[in-house]
Amino acid sequence: MHPFDIKTVVLAKHAQHVVLIHFPIALFIIGVLFDFLAQWKKQRLLAAAAYYNLLVAAIATIPVVVTGILAWQWELEGQKLKGILLMHLVMGCLSSVLICVVWLIHMRTRSKQAEFLPGYRLPIEAVAVVIVALTGHLGGFLSGVNGPG
Amino acid sequence: MRRSVFIAGLATLTLGTLGFGTGQKSYVASAQEKMSTMEVKIDNFSFGPATLTVPVGATVTWTNRDDIPHTVVSTDDSKTFKSKVLDTDEKFSFTFSKVGTYPYFCSIHPKMTGKVIVQ
Repeated sequence: MHPFDIKTVVLAKHAQHVVLIHFPIALFIIGVLFDFLAQWKKQRLLAAAAYYNLLVAAIATIPVVVTGILAWQWELEGQKLKGILLMHLVMGCLSSVLICVVWLIHMRTRSKQAEFLPGYRLPIEAVAVVIVALTGHLGGFLSGVNGPG
Repeated sequence: MRRSVFIAGLATLTLGTLGFGTGQKSYVASAQEKMSTMEVKIDNFSFGPATLTVPVGATVTWTNRDDIPHTVVSTDDSKTFKSKVLDTDEKFSFTFSKVGTYPYFCSIHPKMTGKVIVQ
């Protein structure tokens, strides 16, 4: 299997999920970091950077959820999940919802042209980062990142 | 005297036959036991042994000794055998009734491959 073989990239059933998942994780964590910095430094530019990172993170969750569910349906033929796989699925869905909720909070504030973002978003963002990190850890464990080869 | 020699000979022959029979029985039993204990261990993201040679009619049992869930799926298009997701210590067995080479892999970790050769 060649890593640059287009057939491998397009047809390797659940490989896309493993590749795509890194985008929303990175964008969301950086977006939250920018938002915390914007809150601390009181800088609009940092808030704007946070918004665009969160926007792309929210968009990137869509193909990730789709490819994750397709991997379950294709590779495991939709069989009843349990253990780590079930935990990964539930936490993955929860992470996606939280990423979208955080982006919606930012989007609504911008659309209302309000000057300040609501303070309750910060604990939600912190919890979301922890859940995203745990989901990623489970995913890494499942895919055998620490395994041989 | 002749009679006692005859009886002694007959007794020896009977015991010998019984002994041979018992030995043969134990030989057959051990061969069957050997046949039924064809096992592949799944551990540390690999199948061990990766290649297993078995006689026709043998049942191979895969046991997941890893902390991660795995599957055992034959590579051929007709999917001759396909396990459910095996959690730690769960087993999957399949009886090979035809001669041939059966490559298989783990559908969660496609890099994990193995082969059963049925002779």
